[in-house]
Amino acid sequence: MSEGVRTPPRGGGFRFKVRGPRDFYGGLVLIALAIIAIWASGDLPGTHGFAFGPGTAPRLFAGLLAIVGALVALSGLLVDGPPVEPYAVRGPAWVLLAILAFAGMIRGLNIGPVTIPPLGLVPSTFAAFMISIFGSTEMRWVESLIAAVAMTAFCVGLFVYLLQLPFQLWPWI
Amino acid sequence: MSELLANLALGFSVAASPYNIGFCLLGALVGTLVGVLPGIGTVATVAMLLPITFGLPPVGALIMLAGIYYGAQYGGSTTSVLVNIPGEATSVITCLDGHQMARQGRAGAALSIAAIGSFFAGCVSTVLVAALGVPLTSIALLFGPAEYFSLMLLGLIFAVVLAKGSVLKSIAMVVTGLLLSMVGSDLETGAGRMTFDIAELSDGIGFTNVAMGLFGFAEIIRNLEMSQESRDIVKGKISGLMPTRQDLIDASGAIARGTVLGSLLGILPGGGAVVASFAAYTFEKRISKNPERFGRGAIQGVAAPESANNAAAQTSFIPLLTLGIPPNAVMALMVGAMTIHGIVPGPQVMTKQPELFWGMIASMWLGNLMLVVINLPLVGVWVSLLRVPYRLLYPSIIVFCCIGIYSINNSPTDVVIAAIFGLFGYWLNKHDFEPAPLVLAFVLGPLMEENLRRAMLIARGDATVFLTRPISAGLIAVAAGLLVIAALPMIRKRREEVFVE
Repeated sequence: MSEGVRTPPRGGGFRFKVRGPRDFYGGLVLIALAIIAIWASGDLPGTHGFAFGPGTAPRLFAGLLAIVGALVALSGLLVDGPPVEPYAVRGPAWVLLAILAFAGMIRGLNIGPVTIPPLGLVPSTFAAFMISIFGSTEMRWVESLIAAVAMTAFCVGLFVYLLQLPFQLWPWI
Repeated sequence: MSELLANLALGFSVAASPYNIGFCLLGALVGTLVGVLPGIGTVATVAMLLPITFGLPPVGALIMLAGIYYGAQYGGSTTSVLVNIPGEATSVITCLDGHQMARQGRAGAALSIAAIGSFFAGCVSTVLVAALGVPLTSIALLFGPAEYFSLMLLGLIFAVVLAKGSVLKSIAMVVTGLLLSMVGSDLETGAGRMTFDIAELSDGIGFTNVAMGLFGFAEIIRNLEMSQESRDIVKGKISGLMPTRQDLIDASGAIARGTVLGSLLGILPGGGAVVASFAAYTFEKRISKNPERFGRGAIQGVAAPESANNAAAQTSFIPLLTLGIPPNAVMALMVGAMTIHGIVPGPQVMTKQPELFWGMIASMWLGNLMLVVINLPLVGVWVSLLRVPYRLLYPSIIVFCCIGIYSINNSPTDVVIAAIFGLFGYWLNKHDFEPAPLVLAFVLGPLMEENLRRAMLIARGDATVFLTRPISAGLIAVAAGLLVIAALPMIRKRREEVFVE
């Protein structure tokens, strides 16, 4: 019934209305992914006689992904669908930061001007725990600090003493 | 028949010595304890614990390894149910309904039914391995590269059919998974493919990184934006730890069907156990009177894949013991362990070292028994983990996952890759894409490519080979049929929507 009230989408010129944004943009990103893959595997030799080259399968699947991605995008253009949900920033940012901090600290890091010495398991675990805590709105300082210490101790006991994994524990060992 | 009984009797006389039972129990216990840590899957657990079996006699070592293997696998299912992180590809499916059950306060029932289903599947498939090992090997020999390719294609179609959302989007995920699995060195020429000159990518993207990112990190990020009430894993109070009579009745059919499917699919090398759990789940959903309950905490959705993957794990010993072909990474480790003890896996094991062969088969059953013995009492312990408030639980999971990923290769880059997949998983969720088909395609991708290349080479570039060879054509026909069945309701529904408008 709303059809009659709304201005017709294909009334004049190029006024497109994306009916299912979730699918439409999802499909577009998949196409972009496919293009990156085709570009990245472009220098690999392709089919040679009957034999597949190293580049054949990646380009085959990338081409297929581009087609399927286009179909998904097309269905998003033509069929009504839900809007894209808003993205949260706080949670993803702190979780990502915590993981990156762990990765950067455990064995040190040397990218351009940034240099982190290898800090070992104990500081990395503690820092990752404390950083990720900020992803939630309900953090409590004292409780978090106690939990971080307990968790670090537990991980050291488990991975280093029980499982005997060769980890560097502290910056100086 | 009498020969079978005599063989099994020999096996049990070897396996059931007090020492070996002790090794088995110890293995299952340690395997569960390590496997239950999120981030450490079956392969990693077996690899980590392999060295402790070196000092044992060969039979004892293999029996202990079998115990570790089952323990680790069950541990993986436990994390799937409790925190929605599958330890390995076979327990991806368990997440779907198992975690939903946990959210409804029925984690205990889910874990118990998983243990009971696994045990039943183990009992049946142990007998099956003993009885059918030799004749079934001949079927596996009929499979050439074309057939393997078609089989894996069928597996991927299963994954598409079972996904919740649109068929088209699931196919998109399968193709994405295949493409991601291409990253790394080419199998034949060693050329680096799509590695962007990052040294860590030359070995490919690790399965753990993908699984942890898409399921572990993405889940956490997603949970953080929910309100506190909807996020706490257990909403109401945790109802009884043991499954009710009704649960057992509901699950019994699923367990039996899962066992049959799993036993059959496990024999075929190339991700048999993975395909089996997907297939069993799809099958249950199809024949169920109320399929809408699947994905919302249906007990059949836990019972079927858990029975199937355990049955398949068992029967996947058949190609290993009879052909010497390891069908998956864990079996490859088993081969390694066997060679260390001077046993070369293959047909000769059965004739030359019957006590080892049958001892191992008997120990599989013992391993399963130990699993039930250990885990039914521990269910309460695992479930009580859910009472930890989420604001403290999620940093712990993040830290665990980071250490787990890092420990596999001592590579910080792997941790970063997992983080990237976490963001990717968050994005996928925002656009209603399902990660499960992607993960299966990612696991099967390299095998599919290898067999595709081989088949094409043998057929001299003729792509019709997949349709002219009967077994391959049959598998493709089933795949096509499944796809049509899955797509039909979607098309019909769309038409209805149009009519409503």
